[in-house]
Amino acid sequence: MLKKTVLTSIIIVLFIPFLYASDPFFCPQTASYKIEVNLDTENNTLEAHEILTWINNTEEPTSELWFHLYWNAFQNNQSTFLRECSRMGYDLSDIDKDDWGYNRVHSIKLMENQDVPGEDLGPSLEYKQPDDMNDRDRTVFSVQLPRPIEPGETISLEINFSSKVPAPFSRTGRYKNYYFIAQWFPKIGVFQDGTWNCHQYHAASEYFADYGTYDIKITLPSSFKTGATGEYKNKTNNGDGTSTHHFYQHSVHDFAWTASPDFLRSVENYEFTPGKSVKITLLLQPYHKHIKQRYIEAVKNAVRYASAWFGDYPYATITCVDPAYNSRSGGMEYPTFFTGGAYFISPKGVPSPEGVTIHEFGHNYFYGLIGTNEFENAWMDEGMNSFLDTIIYNQAYGEPFYSDAFLGIPVAFKKVNIPIESEGISSHRKTWNKDPMQRYSWRFMDQNSYGANSYGKGQLMMLTLQRMMGNELFSEMIKEYSMRYWWKHPKPEDFFSVVSEFAGEDMSWFFNQVVYSSGRLDYSIEYIKNHTERAEEGFFENQYVSGQKSEKEDDLFLSEVLVRRLGGVKVPVEILIEFQGGKKIVENWDGQQRWKKFAYKTPVKITRAIVDPLFVYVLDTNRTNNRFSLEPNKKAAYKWVMNWMVWLQHTMEMLAKLGS
Amino acid sequence: MKSLINFIKGFNMTRRTTKMVLFLYIINLLFSLLLAVPLYHSLKNHIGNSDVGDNLENGFDYLWWEEYRDQSQGLEKTFTPSIMGKGALLENLESLIQMKFLTYPSSLILFGFLYILLHTFLSGGIVYTFFKEPPEFSFKRFFKGAGKYSPYFFGIMAVSVGILLLVMASLARWFGSIVSACAKNSVSEITPFILGLIFSLLIWTILLFFHMILDYARIKTVSEDRKNIIKAIASSVIFVFKNPGTTLGLYYLIFSVNIIISIIYIIIQSLIPQISLWGIAGAFIIQQSFIFALIWTRCWLYSSQLKLLRYLE
Repeated sequence: MLKKTVLTSIIIVLFIPFLYASDPFFCPQTASYKIEVNLDTENNTLEAHEILTWINNTEEPTSELWFHLYWNAFQNNQSTFLRECSRMGYDLSDIDKDDWGYNRVHSIKLMENQDVPGEDLGPSLEYKQPDDMNDRDRTVFSVQLPRPIEPGETISLEINFSSKVPAPFSRTGRYKNYYFIAQWFPKIGVFQDGTWNCHQYHAASEYFADYGTYDIKITLPSSFKTGATGEYKNKTNNGDGTSTHHFYQHSVHDFAWTASPDFLRSVENYEFTPGKSVKITLLLQPYHKHIKQRYIEAVKNAVRYASAWFGDYPYATITCVDPAYNSRSGGMEYPTFFTGGAYFISPKGVPSPEGVTIHEFGHNYFYGLIGTNEFENAWMDEGMNSFLDTIIYNQAYGEPFYSDAFLGIPVAFKKVNIPIESEGISSHRKTWNKDPMQRYSWRFMDQNSYGANSYGKGQLMMLTLQRMMGNELFSEMIKEYSMRYWWKHPKPEDFFSVVSEFAGEDMSWFFNQVVYSSGRLDYSIEYIKNHTERAEEGFFENQYVSGQKSEKEDDLFLSEVLVRRLGGVKVPVEILIEFQGGKKIVENWDGQQRWKKFAYKTPVKITRAIVDPLFVYVLDTNRTNNRFSLEPNKKAAYKWVMNWMVWLQHTMEMLAKLGS
Repeated sequence: MKSLINFIKGFNMTRRTTKMVLFLYIINLLFSLLLAVPLYHSLKNHIGNSDVGDNLENGFDYLWWEEYRDQSQGLEKTFTPSIMGKGALLENLESLIQMKFLTYPSSLILFGFLYILLHTFLSGGIVYTFFKEPPEFSFKRFFKGAGKYSPYFFGIMAVSVGILLLVMASLARWFGSIVSACAKNSVSEITPFILGLIFSLLIWTILLFFHMILDYARIKTVSEDRKNIIKAIASSVIFVFKNPGTTLGLYYLIFSVNIIISIIYIIIQSLIPQISLWGIAGAFIIQQSFIFALIWTRCWLYSSQLKLLRYLE
């Protein structure tokens, strides 16, 4: 029976390219999976049969294979993931026996083909802990091969595994009849530079994998609706109360799926650019029916603008899932498939669900198409993608309104707009001295530092680069970077190199300071001084001068502006100096020393000075001190303290009710 | 009908004591200035010579505010866009129902406590002023009443705070745990939201009900010259339960006036562009008129309740 299964599998694997001959692959299919999985909703388990075809696309041979078994992060409290969660202060006290989840590999066999003899690799299976030596962690394993796999060689493995679907710890799991199944199968690591890049599952980290074809058949109770990575090929009714759903996608590096009987499904074809369309599927929770159009519009805007910025979206489908309440699966990305997140009340102008929808769609570029290593270079996906979502949101909807919730009801403050430059600056301001932006995700000082550096500072750096290079050049550069590295695994240096290429200079001076160091960028105008020149007094050439001014000298001022660099990051800056009567001068300073004084002898006073007047350096942690006016506005403080005072007076009246 | 009659009579009585309302308003204003002045200096110093002040005059500079917030401490932390305009009212409503006042900076908590004590003292004067027919405000009479009844009113205040803490410690906590349990097992965020809202309204109603009973206890202390607050409270409970429709009707009439005033304020203040000296001055006048109106309605509540008490007894 087993032999027959193996033989059938080999035939199917060999024929995959012919079955989908109409689909030209976008890239080498290094790691391709064919999986048949059955979800048992009674026991919350998966039973699966996986065939992995792997090509050694490197220049080095390997005699072992490394795999991720991500769900073992949820099998007990000694996993690296849960130890890290515990250290972060998550309450892990109320986990029931049924909440734990895991993957179990029952067999792993090298499949017979012309080159490699078939062999059971199970006996050589060994759990690895490359990141933290936690020998209780079971999220990575390796198997030894009977002989090295040479460069260019292809092997196939047959893996039988089962899994217990966890309660939602993070990103995946089940909540009532909603299943979000991600990182669920034994997944091969990335063989790079002669070693396996296969990190353990961490609390503050995402993923890294090779591109390939995913041909997945999911068997579910017939009442369930489903969505997944890639194209929905067909559905087969098995006649036993279950149905099998077939999904297929090539040139992606992950596969996730969801199932629930409650989903409201909407499908729309959208032509995002002339001649290019995408099929948008929205799987909506019934209680969010009224925000369906906001979701759909957000996906459309995301596809349209992202295509213009980073290259036309190449896949035929995109599926957006509105996650179930309490499922902890919101705001996550997988190729062609992502989860949004929404609250049932959302005033217009408040970016929910639009913000998260655009962000998660954006990951189809920064992680999906541009396959950066999220474990090691988190800013390359989260930072760049935060930049993507901010610019797209602002282009599509304008600046969002500030909002706050009162008794659970969100209220928009339409007089308070949130400018693009504010995204991420606050978190950067609070954490700039904790870590450099470039660190392994789990090695940041704390969760705040990970978030601020990976998301906030990464985004601020991109905005700064955009303004340093000018929008046109930056747009060309970012599109080139994007498309040059589609279906590849770029490293930070690859990005730096593209920037330098377009900037026409070696930009390492910038990246060394912003990416690899934890310095702060802060320039300020310390003061403006306008002196009248003192009349000559004393002995000049043995002649006494009394100190009386001439008419001409009376008109002249010695005016000074002192500019300071308060942070460690050194960048060249412009200084705009304004004089009485409207005259303006723009000065340049290389910013290398701690301060620079600009002095003028003019008949009019300096009235205002601004360092970085065009707001190029969005990374500047204190923008208020960049601008100095000789006549500061006195009304502003009055105005806002009066507005604050009415709140205080009202508070007092409320409190007075307690006593009177 | 009885509620409406006494509601109108109370209005006329309060109209005759506008000077007293003005006095109470000035106390409120001066007290708030004690904290507003330091905040003003804090804002002024932070803005400094930066021309961000121009942005702030013409609108709200979110980028500046984030900097200010990130560097601020204590009282400064309460300066957020959430308490501007309608936010001020919504924030306080939420704070009262969820006792968020206790999370405020310690300086503000202390300040609030002092204000409660001061107002408890002044309440004796308010009721004593209305007690005279026709009411007439004089500082002498006002402070005579305040001094004479303040020990009893402090006692009633202690009962009021005790009830508040009891409701919050027992009922609100119990409701909170129900909402949490519901949220943990709910299929959507709507159920816990609605449940939370219902419980909030329930707590609000309970607090208002107790507040109304204690109002009558204060009035009875003055009008019946009672020396025992427990008896005064018991008597007011009997009175309220004997006349539930009328007492509640009157209470909710004044409450409705408060709501209407608040809505009008929210609308008007949102229409005033605070972008010039005139705009700022105009907004200030509207804001202070709103506070004055709230204090006016608080006095109106006392006068109407006193009228009703006399009417029914």
